[in-house]
Order: sequence, then structure tokens, then C-alpha cells
Amino acid sequence: MRAVSGMTRRPFILILIGWLISLTPVLASGEGLPLYAERLWDALPITNSMVMVWLAVGLIILFCQAATRKMALVPAGLQNFAEWTVESLYDFLGGLLGERLNKRVFWFHGSVFLLILVNNYVGLIPGVGTIGWHTVDGTGHHGFLPLLRGGNADLNMTAAMALTFALLWFYWAITENGLKRFFAHLFAPKGEFKGVMLMFMLPVFLFVGVLEVISIAIRPIALTFRLFGNIYGGEQTLEKVMSLVPKPLAFLPALPFYFLELLVGLIQALVFMLLCAVFLKLICDHGDEEHH
Amino acid sequence: MITYLATAAAEQPGAFEAIKTSFDFGGWYFVAQVINFFIVIFILKKFAFGPIQNMLEQRRARIAEGEEKLKQIEQQLAASEQTTAAAIAKANEEAIRLVNEAKQGATAFTEQKAREAIAQAQQILTNAEAAAKADRERLGMELKREFGRLVAATTAQVTGKVLTADDQQRINEDVLVKIEG
Repeated sequence: MRAVSGMTRRPFILILIGWLISLTPVLASGEGLPLYAERLWDALPITNSMVMVWLAVGLIILFCQAATRKMALVPAGLQNFAEWTVESLYDFLGGLLGERLNKRVFWFHGSVFLLILVNNYVGLIPGVGTIGWHTVDGTGHHGFLPLLRGGNADLNMTAAMALTFALLWFYWAITENGLKRFFAHLFAPKGEFKGVMLMFMLPVFLFVGVLEVISIAIRPIALTFRLFGNIYGGEQTLEKVMSLVPKPLAFLPALPFYFLELLVGLIQALVFMLLCAVFLKLICDHGDEEHH
Repeated sequence: MITYLATAAAEQPGAFEAIKTSFDFGGWYFVAQVINFFIVIFILKKFAFGPIQNMLEQRRARIAEGEEKLKQIEQQLAASEQTTAAAIAKANEEAIRLVNEAKQGATAFTEQKAREAIAQAQQILTNAEAAAKADRERLGMELKREFGRLVAATTAQVTGKVLTADDQQRINEDVLVKIEG
């Protein structure tokens, strides 16, 4: 009897979630979400995406407060969950970066992962991107201003994280390797070359170094657009598939994509964090081995 | 390659401008998001990763300490087991020695007591024999006296003759010889 009620309850919850997702698209313009986060008030330079980031930050603060308020050697409840999260992340990154480097940089990678994950998930709360105001501009063009947008659906947010990482990457790379070895890592020939061979290989590795510098310069841009594109694309997909069917049934086509977005939210957080870790490991690899 | 990239960049001088306009990128919004990001990093580092990692480190240290103590206890237990085994072996040896000594002592004591008992028995036997001999002699003397008295009395009554002491002595000796013979 209990199994039967469980079976019937689950689809009901799914339908409820779907209905909530589609509760407000009646307010949306149906023209899709803009590429940029919109300013909410003329008086204040605050965008709907910023509000969402603050909400995510608030949730993170509340969670940290609750989890670490009464720390005990034998963990329970939220502390247990927080410790499991941090320890799993730490061990995961430790396997990639090595114990010493991980100890130094974990705070950044852990923060990036948690912020992206929470941002992605709060961006999926029904109403985000769909509750807002219809607007009419001076030319008579009808628009829609959503009250909230996913934090990572704003290029400024993803760029803030990627460029911060780029600066920290330089700092860590130079402090780990030293300035001389940092440049040697980029431009010096790798391997044992002597005489004529060395003369031949020098320009080759110099050219490879230039390519490496270009690659390094492109990394933050790639990080920025990868995350933004995935999250913005997810929002757009949800918006568009809901407009394919009559409004009372809008939840149905969105439902599978909603669960897909839950997966994408986690994967993108992992990808961003892992790429940051890999980029750092690539430049610090030599230095790390030396220290061992 | 570099020339190609430089040319491509030169051909599209407004690429960044286009991105800036399309995505409303840069300016205060970018700075604000950087600030948001730094706030998160600071909060997580100070209030989440710091205390949690400290706690994990403490727990790791305690576990290591516990394992170290366990190792010490195991070593102490092994040493104690060895000491106990040695003590038990020594006690066994001592006990066997004591039992053997006790057995030897008991055997000697038994033999001594047996000898004493035999000697006492011999003594009792000798005493008993001596007492019996004395009794027999005493009874013999009493019998002689009684028999002499009876013979003298009977003779006096039958013959009417009063026997002298020599007669009585002679009759007694004759009778005794016949009785004992």
C-alpha cells in the first residue's frame, strides 16, 4: 500500500515542479531572454543578475553559519554535510594538484565551485527569469524585464571569476616557480639539446612559447564564455520549449530540460573548477616535482 | 600564425565593443560582480573552509594519535603477554620444583614416620611381652602359693599331719614340675 502511494506521489511532485516552472511564463514576452542582465532601477546600478548573486551569497553565508556555529569533533547534521562536501572537494582536488599546492589554493577552487553551483541552482528556482514586468520602450517595442536572472547568465559574473583566476594564476605560477623558471617553463627548450640541435630548437620553442602565451591569454575568455553560454543556453532552452505548447501545458516540454539543467549546473561548476585546477597544475607541475 | 591572429584582430577592431554592447559587459557591473565574488571567497575561506579544515585536521590528528596509542597499547600488550608467559613458565617450574621437593619431603617424612611407628610398635610389643612375662611369672607364683596352700591343706585334712615348711616346699616344686612339664 505504501509502495503504491509512493509511486503516485512521485509523478505528482514532478507535475507540481513543472507547473511551478511554467506558472509565470504568461508574463514573459516569449521573445527569449536578453544576452545581458538588465538594470532593475534607473537610480541604482543594480542588475537582476546581481540580486541573484546576492541571494546565492546569502544562502552560502546562512549555510556556513549554520554548519560551523557549533563545531564538534563528532559531526552531526549540517556540519556533517559541510565536512563531507569540503573533504570530498579537497581530496578530489588534492589528487589533481598535489597535497602541497592544494593546501595553498583550495580556498579559491572550493569557493568557485560552491558559488557557481549555488548560482546555477538558485537560477533554476521557478520564477527566476520568468517573473518580471512588460516594458515598452520609446520606439513602441514591447519587452520583458525579468525580476531575477541566473547569476551565471550574466557575462560580468563569469568574467569576474575567470579574470580573478587569471590574476591569481600569475601570482601562484610565479611564486611557485620563481620568475626565471616561470619564463623558462614557457619559452625554454624542453629536453637535452646541445650544439647545433639547441640552436635549431631555440626558435621552435620560442614560437611554441608564444603560442602558449596566446593560449594562456585565451583561457579566461574561454572560461567566461563556456559557463555563460551553458547557463544562458539552458535558460533560453527552458523559455523556448515552454512557448512551444499551449500555456496550461507549458510545464510538460520543460520538465526533462529542467532535470537536464540540474545536471548541467553541477557539471559546469565542476568543469570551471577543474579547468582552473588543470591550468594551475600545468604551470606549477615542474615546481611541485622539485619541491617533492 | 601570429601574423594571422594579428590580422584577424585588426580586421575586427570592434569585436570587444560588440561584446561589451551585446552582453552589457564591463564598467560598474563587472566591478560589482568582482566584489561579490571576493565577498564569497572571503566568507567561505574565513567561515567555512577554515573552520571545517581545522576540524578535519584536528580529527585527523586525533585519529593518528589514537592509532599511535593503539600501536603502543598493542606493543605493551605483546610485551605484557611475553612477561606473563615468562612468569607463568617460571611459576610452573617453581611449582614443579616445589611439588617434587614436597614429594621427596613427604616420602622422607613417611619413611621416618613409618620407622618411628615400627620402632614404637616394636617397643609396645617388647613392653607387652615383658608385661605378659611378668604377669605370667606373677600368676605362676600365685598359683604355686595357692597350690601349695591347697596341697598342704588337703594333706593335713587327709593325713592329719601338719606339713612343715620344707615339706610344703618340696611338694610345691614337684607339682610345678609336673604342671609345667
